[in-house]
Amino acid sequence: MTLITTRPGPGTARPYRFPSVVRRDVAGGRVVAAHLPGQNLAVALLLLDAGAGREPVGKEGLGAVLAKALEEGTAQRDATAFALAVEGLGTELATGLDWDSFQVSVQVPVDRLGAAVELLAEAVRTPRLDPDDVRRVRDDEATALRMDWANPGPRADAVLRADLFGADNRWGRPLYGDPGSVAGLDVEDVTVFHSEWFLRPGTLIVAGDLDRLDLDALGAAAFAGTGGGPAEQGGPIEVPLPAGRRIILVDRPGSVQSTLRLGHPAPHRAHPDHVPMTLAGTVLGGAFTSRLNHLIREVRGYTYGIRGDFASSRRFGRFAVSSGVQTAVTAPALVEAVGEISRTRAGGVTEDELAVARSWRAGQLSVELQSPRAIASALTTLVVHDLPDDYHARLREALLAADVAQVSAAAATHLHPEALTLVIEGDAAAIRDELVASGLGEVTDHVG
Amino acid sequence: MPDSGYPWPIETTRLDNGLRVVVSEDRTAPAVAVNLWYDVGSRHEPTGQTGFAHLFEHLMFEGSVNVAKTEHMKLIQGSGGSLNATTNPDRTNYFETVPAEHLELALWLEADRMGGLVPALTQETLDNQRDVVKNERRQRYENVPYGDAWLRLLPLLYPPGHPYHHATIGSMADLNAADLATFQAFHQTYYAPDNAVLTVVGDATAAEVFTLAQRYFGAIPARGDIPAAPDGHTVAGTGRPAVETVTADVPAARVYVAHRTHPFGSTGYDVATVAATVLGSGRGSRLYQRLADGERLAQPDLVGAYGVDLAHAPAPVIATATARPGVSAERLAAGVAEVVDELATVPVTATELDRAKALLSTAWWRQMSTVDGRADALGRYATQFGDPARTADRLPGWLSVTAGQIAELAADVLTPADRVTLTYLPEETR
Repeated sequence: MTLITTRPGPGTARPYRFPSVVRRDVAGGRVVAAHLPGQNLAVALLLLDAGAGREPVGKEGLGAVLAKALEEGTAQRDATAFALAVEGLGTELATGLDWDSFQVSVQVPVDRLGAAVELLAEAVRTPRLDPDDVRRVRDDEATALRMDWANPGPRADAVLRADLFGADNRWGRPLYGDPGSVAGLDVEDVTVFHSEWFLRPGTLIVAGDLDRLDLDALGAAAFAGTGGGPAEQGGPIEVPLPAGRRIILVDRPGSVQSTLRLGHPAPHRAHPDHVPMTLAGTVLGGAFTSRLNHLIREVRGYTYGIRGDFASSRRFGRFAVSSGVQTAVTAPALVEAVGEISRTRAGGVTEDELAVARSWRAGQLSVELQSPRAIASALTTLVVHDLPDDYHARLREALLAADVAQVSAAAATHLHPEALTLVIEGDAAAIRDELVASGLGEVTDHVG
Repeated sequence: MPDSGYPWPIETTRLDNGLRVVVSEDRTAPAVAVNLWYDVGSRHEPTGQTGFAHLFEHLMFEGSVNVAKTEHMKLIQGSGGSLNATTNPDRTNYFETVPAEHLELALWLEADRMGGLVPALTQETLDNQRDVVKNERRQRYENVPYGDAWLRLLPLLYPPGHPYHHATIGSMADLNAADLATFQAFHQTYYAPDNAVLTVVGDATAAEVFTLAQRYFGAIPARGDIPAAPDGHTVAGTGRPAVETVTADVPAARVYVAHRTHPFGSTGYDVATVAATVLGSGRGSRLYQRLADGERLAQPDLVGAYGVDLAHAPAPVIATATARPGVSAERLAAGVAEVVDELATVPVTATELDRAKALLSTAWWRQMSTVDGRADALGRYATQFGDPARTADRLPGWLSVTAGQIAELAADVLTPADRVTLTYLPEETR
C-alpha cells in the first residue's frame, strides 16, 4: 500500500472576514447587528446591564429566578399562552447570566424574527410577576440548584471562589447563587431587581440576513416602554494573592473520582496582557494538546481530561484548573499538575507550543464563528467590553504576532503556583492522609 | 414551507476502493468541514468485547505510520481547527473543521489513520487509552446521579443478543480484558475505504476534493467482505412491561418511561420524532403543561421527551420527569404514563402540532447553520441510506406528519404492555 508519507503544507490562505457590523441608535436604545447573507436562521439577543455583579450580597440567584419568572405570564397573556406563542414560532426564550450582563435571546427562521422579538420584549418589559408564581419559581429554582449541587463540581467551585475572592463579596459567591441563597429570596427582591435593571433599554444584538430584517422595527419593539440611562459600572477590583498554597478538602463519601479545582486571582478583561495571558493559558491547559492534558491524561492516564485557563470579566479574573481523577491517584495528580504550572511559570513556553496555540486561537475565529448564535455571542463581547467593529480581525493579528518572550513573560507574571488554592472534592477518608503527605500545602476540611 | 431541508449543492463520487466521497460547496466562510463516517459501532461488538468500538475511536488519535503519537491533535489545532470523534451503537464518526487552506492536511491525516494505523498501534498506547476510557466511564456514568440511566435502559429495551442490548461505553471487565491483537483485527476488519463515507462541506470545490481524495485515499485497498452486525430490526414484544427500580445516591426520585418505536429514517420514526416533541419539548409540551405546571408533580427544568436517532432497530423514545419535593415516585410514574397513554386517546391539536413542527424546523436549520453540522448529516444519510441527498427529506418528513399518524403510532407502539419504566429512588426512602 502506498500512503503519501509527506505531510502537505497549507494552501493559499483565504482572507479573514468577520461579518460586517451595523450599530444604530433606535427608540432610545442601541442595535448592534451582523450581516449573514443567505443564512436561514436569525438570532436576536437583548443584552442588559443586569449581570450577577448587580445582585446585592446575600441575594445571589436573583437574576436566575427573575429569568424563570419572566416566562410565567405577561401583562397580555398567561404562562401557557405565552409558551405556545413563543414555541409556535419555533423558539424558546434562552436566558443567560454572567458577571457582566444578563441576556435573553430567540433563534428562529429569519422571517419570524420580528414576531419573536416582540414576544421577547413583552416578557422582559411587562412580566406579570404574580407573587404566587414568583414564590413557586423561586422554590423550583432552589430545588434545581439542590439537584445540580448533588453533582461533583458545584460545591468545589463555590469553595474555590470564596477562597479566592472572599465570601463577603458578591464575586466571592457562586454566579447563580446556592440552594440556600435562592430559597431566601422574597417576591419584593425580584420585583425591585426587575424595575431597577430590566426597564432600561440595553442593547439589542441581531445576527442574521439583514437584507431580510428591519433593524428599526426590531429596535422599536425591543425598547418600547423603556427608560433610564446607563448606570455606573465600577472599575477593576484589586484582589490580593493568598500568602501561601493550601488544600481545602470537600468530602464526598464513596466518590470514585476526586474533583479538582485549583486556582488563584488573575487580571480583569481589559488588562494589556490579555492576549499573551490567553496564549500562556492555552499552552498550559487550554487545548487538548496542552501540557496539563498531555501529562495527566495522555502520559499518566489519571483522568478523562484536565483543563486550565485564565478567565476574566470586566472587573476581575482568575486562573483555574479543573479535572476529575481516579480517587487512588488524587495526590500524584495534584503534584504533577502543580509541578507543570510551576515549570510553565519558571521556564515559559517553547516556539513549537506557541505556534500551535496562536494558530489555534486565530483559526478558531474562522472555524467557530459560523452560526448566528456564535456571531451574536461575539457581538456581545464587543458591546460588554467596548470593543471596535474590527476587534476580531485585530485580535487575530495580535494572536499571530505574539512571540515566545511576550507569552513567557505573561506566564511568569500571571501564574502563581505558590499561591494556588487546591480544592479537592472527593472521598476525604480515602485521600486525606495522602494529601497531607504530599507536602503541597496545609490541608483544611471544608465545613458545610 | 420549504420543500427541501438541504438547499445546497451535493456532489458525490466513489473511488475504485469503494470510498464514497460527498462534497457540498459553500463559500460563505473560509472554513471547511471534513467528516468520516465508518459504518461500525457498538452493535458490531460480540459478547465479551463491549466498549471496543469506542476504545478504538480513542486509539485513532494516537498516531499512525506517518503521524507520531499526539501529532494528529497538534496538527489540527495548530492549523486553527476543531476536531473530535464520537461512537454510538450504529457508527463511529471522526470530524474536523479547519480554515480552508488546511483541507489537504486534514485529508492526509484521515487517510493515514484509515490506511496505516495498525503498524503504529502499541501495547503502551492501548493501556493508556484503556485507562482514559475507564476514567470517562467513571466521570460520565458512575460518579454522577442518574448517570447510568442509559446503561440500564438499553438491556430493558433490547433482549440479550440484540445489537443494542449493551451500551457503547462497555463494561469495565471487558475493557480490562482488551488485547492488542483484537484491536489490530478490529481495524483491519472495519476501517476500510469501502466501509466509510468521506464528506467535505464548505470552502472547496467538488473537483478539488475528488482529486485530493484520490491522491490520499486512493491507494488504500478495499476489504471487500465486511461482516455485518447481527440484525436487530425485529424485536419481539414481550407483552408485559419491564420495570426496574434503583435506590441510589440521587437527590430526588426520577422516572424514565421508554418505548421502542421505529428505526431512524422511516416514516414511522418521523412520526415518533414529532410525537416526542409534542410530548416533551418546551413549556408548551404536554408533559410540562400537565406535570410541571398543572399538577406540579415534576421539576420544571427536568421534564422532557426525546427520541434517540438509531437506524438499525426500532429506536427508543424516552420520556422523563424528576419529582418535586414531597411527590412520590409512584405518583410521578403514574403521571408520566398517563400523559404518554393520552397520545393515543386525546387527539393532538393543530396548535400542538404547529408548535412541534416550528421547534423541529428551528432545530433543523440550527444544525444546517454550520459546515460541520451539514457534513455530519450528509455522512449519515450516505452511510445509512446510501444517498446523501436524502438529507433533504428529513425536514419535509417531519412537516408532513399528521395528528392521526401520531394517534396511530401511540396506539401501536407507545402502549403500556410494551413499556419500560426505570425509577430512581433516593437512598433515604429505602
